Amino acid sequence: MKPCLLLTVFLACPVQAQLTLHLHTGAPADKPAALHGKDATIQLVATASSPDKPACDATRTVTWKVEPPTVLAVSSTGVATPLADGTATITATTEGATATATVNVSGAGAWRAANFTHDIVPVLTKYGCNGGGCHGKSEGQNGFRLSLLGFEPGEDYEHLVNESRGRRLFPAAPENSLLLLKATGEMPHGGGARMERGTPDYLALVRWMEQGAPAGNPGDPRPVNITVLPAERLLLPESTQQLQVTAHYSDGSWRDITSAVQYESGAREMAEVSSSGLVRTAKLTGDAAVMVRFQEFVGVFRAIIPLGAPLAEFPPERNFIDKHVFAKLRTLGLPPSGVCDDATFLRRVTLDITGSLPPAAEAEAFLAETNPDKRPALVDRLLAGTGYAEYFAGKWAALLRNKRGNSPPHATYAFHAWLRDSLHRNKPYDHFVREILSASGSISSNPPAAWYRAVTKQQDQLQDAAQVFCGQRLQCAQCHHHPYEKWSQQDYYGFAAFFSTIGRKPADEPGEEAVFHQWREASANNPKTQKQVKPTPLGGAVLDLKPQDDPRRALASWLTTPDNPFFARVLVNRYWKHFLGRALVEPEDDLRVTNPATNPALLDGLALFFAENKFDLKALIRSICTSSTYQLSSLPNEHNAADRQNYSRFFPRRLPAEVLLDAVDTVTGVPTKFPGQPAGARAVALPDDSFNAGSYFLTVFGRPDNSSACECERSGESSLAQSLHLLNAKGVQEKLTSGEGRAAALAKEERPAEERLRRLFLAVHSRPPAAEEAKKAVDYLTAREGKPAAWEDIVWALMNSKEFLFNH
Amino acid sequence: MLTLTSRSPSPSFCDGISRRSFLRMGGLGLGGLTFSQLLRAEAQNGTLRSNKALILVYLPGGPPHQDMFDIKTDAPSEIRGEFSEIATNVPGNRICELLPRMAKMADKLVFVRSVVGAKDRHESFQCVTGRLNENLPPGGWPEIGSVISKLQGSTGAAVPPYVNLSQRMYHMPYNQGRSSFLGVGHSPFMPLGNVKDDMTLNGITLERLEDRRALLTAFDKFRRDADASGVMAGLDEFETQAFDILTSSRLLKALDVSSEPDKVRARYGKGTDKIQGDAAPRLNEQFLLARRLVEAGVRVVTLSYSFWDWHSGNFKNARQNLPDFDEALTALVEDLHDRGMENDVTVLAWGEFGRSPRINPGGGREHWPNVSCALMAGGGMHTGQAIGATDRLGGEAVDRPVHFQEIFATLYHNLGINPNTTTVRDLNGRPHYLVDGAHQPMKELIS
Repeated sequence: MKPCLLLTVFLACPVQAQLTLHLHTGAPADKPAALHGKDATIQLVATASSPDKPACDATRTVTWKVEPPTVLAVSSTGVATPLADGTATITATTEGATATATVNVSGAGAWRAANFTHDIVPVLTKYGCNGGGCHGKSEGQNGFRLSLLGFEPGEDYEHLVNESRGRRLFPAAPENSLLLLKATGEMPHGGGARMERGTPDYLALVRWMEQGAPAGNPGDPRPVNITVLPAERLLLPESTQQLQVTAHYSDGSWRDITSAVQYESGAREMAEVSSSGLVRTAKLTGDAAVMVRFQEFVGVFRAIIPLGAPLAEFPPERNFIDKHVFAKLRTLGLPPSGVCDDATFLRRVTLDITGSLPPAAEAEAFLAETNPDKRPALVDRLLAGTGYAEYFAGKWAALLRNKRGNSPPHATYAFHAWLRDSLHRNKPYDHFVREILSASGSISSNPPAAWYRAVTKQQDQLQDAAQVFCGQRLQCAQCHHHPYEKWSQQDYYGFAAFFSTIGRKPADEPGEEAVFHQWREASANNPKTQKQVKPTPLGGAVLDLKPQDDPRRALASWLTTPDNPFFARVLVNRYWKHFLGRALVEPEDDLRVTNPATNPALLDGLALFFAENKFDLKALIRSICTSSTYQLSSLPNEHNAADRQNYSRFFPRRLPAEVLLDAVDTVTGVPTKFPGQPAGARAVALPDDSFNAGSYFLTVFGRPDNSSACECERSGESSLAQSLHLLNAKGVQEKLTSGEGRAAALAKEERPAEERLRRLFLAVHSRPPAAEEAKKAVDYLTAREGKPAAWEDIVWALMNSKEFLFNH
Repeated sequence: MLTLTSRSPSPSFCDGISRRSFLRMGGLGLGGLTFSQLLRAEAQNGTLRSNKALILVYLPGGPPHQDMFDIKTDAPSEIRGEFSEIATNVPGNRICELLPRMAKMADKLVFVRSVVGAKDRHESFQCVTGRLNENLPPGGWPEIGSVISKLQGSTGAAVPPYVNLSQRMYHMPYNQGRSSFLGVGHSPFMPLGNVKDDMTLNGITLERLEDRRALLTAFDKFRRDADASGVMAGLDEFETQAFDILTSSRLLKALDVSSEPDKVRARYGKGTDKIQGDAAPRLNEQFLLARRLVEAGVRVVTLSYSFWDWHSGNFKNARQNLPDFDEALTALVEDLHDRGMENDVTVLAWGEFGRSPRINPGGGREHWPNVSCALMAGGGMHTGQAIGATDRLGGEAVDRPVHFQEIFATLYHNLGINPNTTTVRDLNGRPHYLVDGAHQPMKELIS
């Protein structure tokens, strides 16, 4: 890669005279920082910035001065530790800029009274004692059991202090207690040596035992949330950023917990994080998130690592999508490719909206069209057609588990037809979801009730609903607090309660089952607390419903309120992935706090657009497909070949199984017969998964079985078996050689070979052949006297080229 | 320009071709025609190449280690189980009475009794990748077959480097052939599926196929750097492999056991083709197929054998499964010795964890990731050993615990790869070592 001008200027933290320095102590804006107790620490973070350079971390490059120096000391890494009671001013200096902070030190003469839950359990979490691989397992490890990641401190206290007659602790000589001897590896320990003697955490455990291993007073202030500073920052490759984490307590106090939390990098190839909160970036460009965990609280730091390449002209900004995407590209210094040509756009958007190749006649017309608005007009035409409804009905059928199983065909067919009609009539998405979630009755009378046919268990209903409609993967929280999110078991069962009144009874139609709401209070049992939990929306307040209120309606109402943080975001994220190949949050149904979007402004913008347009799906698709971002070419420039995250170009993807089968059928001119389907039915319009077993093509190319609510069930992988099939399958060969097929028809035509070839290329690639391609093909045909076999070979070759197999 | 110097005495790699002569061939495209022409010429010359290879037998469900190679005679009856020990032809080494053939050739086998590091998860993941199924890098950890496929490529024109003989098992995580960051070009070929029909030319001649291929090359000009995900490159590779399968029937011949002498086939025994549990059938013939595939040039063959998750009826199930396993595995090892392949082909048989010491009321044993066992052979290793020991109850490894990554380090070593220096790059270009640095090839086994 050529050295980039912008990058060399970025190489070091700004050193000009206009430099300003900020010192962060974690205290709220108008209050001085506080160190209370001998063991308190504050991780100071110094940020240097200047008007023309972004903020960068100067914590390790400033010189620290404390006045008076008897009150506290600051280490070279910016950790402030108390020495004596009083007030001190810390001054950080670098390159002529200074910043100060005032710190009040109190109680420096004594150790703070330890509280087991807030002080000791985090130590166990930090050193991995209560992880899922060790003592946090449901059966514990070697007879010692802790709750997973310290989510049940009461139990942990019981096991650690009281179990087995308290053999694990030795208050009279704490350093000889089993707990510490094992932790330091001085006694054989399956988990090895986890901590070192004499370190602050080690001593914290010692002191706690010396204090008599107190559980702490119930009235002690509890943490209510944590804040991570900075929340996000532009970080150069191979640079560092010190994080600072503060816990806020129920009594209004706060404390620095930077050294007590667990850090985990979400993208270790891009950024690593140490146990003291120092983030170090690698060479790769893009977004990296670092998760911070403290008990049941999670926070995140976003590192944005720019490339710094020179930015040439950008394509025109056609709507808010381009605004956000291009802003990100400018921030990263990642130049986009240019806009794609008409043939590429026609093929791309027709495949993405309808799952079909554009017919040759349409390609001819589109390429010749001179109207400057032809692209948006094309999008409108495609959205108005039935192809769109069929294709997207298949997508939703997979998400909503339209799996045949043992049901009679009409169950899945009715649901698919309802999906298709809803999409064709552009039913607003909120109505769509409401009709599914609160569906009652039999499938014949009310097709969306089919969802309840497929998803029968309460835990599946709530998990699917959360995953598909909220983008939250609640599964982990069924048995314990979610390890990466804020959801607790209480939240899980509060959500489960929405599905707690579902009854089933024989319907009026023979052989069918009707789903209905039973008139009773909705509640679910939380097995942990053994108490009933009333319906509670995620992150919301408990609902007070009367027995006659169908809690599913209440759920749908909560979901579809305009300011619901999940509903619109997960939908736009999914649709973004459908068209652009990569979701803004990956996986597309895992919108955690600790899994931030690569372009939060764009995600918010899309969600807002969607909600403001009354959840109009076609309007959403229209705005995506008419943006310049969607129309970028897939061919890389010299800088953006490695980009897979920032949409600086279109990311080609292989055609999905049923789209490919239809494309093969179209190109060979012989449709596949699907049992029980009308002649000429497209593979993308198949109503359920039952056709997979009978079609090796669909199976080998990975059409999903509709067994899960995750779109990742669709296997996009390639394999030797697939290549063999395309090159050589009997079925494909039969299509090529069929008398009704395209090759036979082409051989019979009277027109010159060049014209026939042109038509063929328009049908396959939506573009006319290049001169070289035409020549090769004509030579080939002439050498074989234009026999059908020669045309078969040409069609075969076009069908096996990457340009055909990929949506680019 | 093609210079065939495979008979030159210059220092060469296992395939017998010195790298200098390799380069003189005019460069190597990935599986390009020049290379395959070379190898076809070599095969016609009759030069036998001895490739390093691996046959990995996965025992889905977790076999009971204390009822196979580590009978706990000192344990109480509710732990010991119903089987007694028998002596083997290695003094001091005793194994279960249901494995008499293994006992007679224990000098050619290695019993590892103290495999640790496993997780309580019913999946083949750890057994075939040498990694735990957590903290996956982008794309996921690759199976050893995929790594070998990436690092060493194919040995011959018409055989894929990694073949998995398992049928699709009902319990999904048992299946092998996972995608990984090495890309789709290194997935295993799984010939016991529908692909069999596609492997012979359907309705066209070889000549016509070559014509079509030339046409394809002329038309297939789309820029490959447009795809950063590796899918396009993977497709190219598979296409090449597919052509190779269609133009030469080496792979098909390898998969056809009917050309084996009856005596050899009988030695492997039968087993049953009925699927056991939610896992695999107990097909002894697959061991023979594995040997044939390795002879044809496949580098890594994996197969799944029966179902070992016996939460009830442990001893009844053992009486059904162990004799068949005994027969198949010993036939394979014997065969390898007879053909002089024992220094080149490593055999490993294991499951994802062991089973609990305590026998439950249903007469079965529960999952026990604390310790499990492994059976190894071949690979030029020092066989005739029993490595490691468990405690009196067979619950924990007390002597020489062997982390499963040490076994993987040994496998890589046997395949000619130094796990301390070799890396593979994930989807972001970041290099990864094959096993964690702490785990070295087992000194007891390698010279």
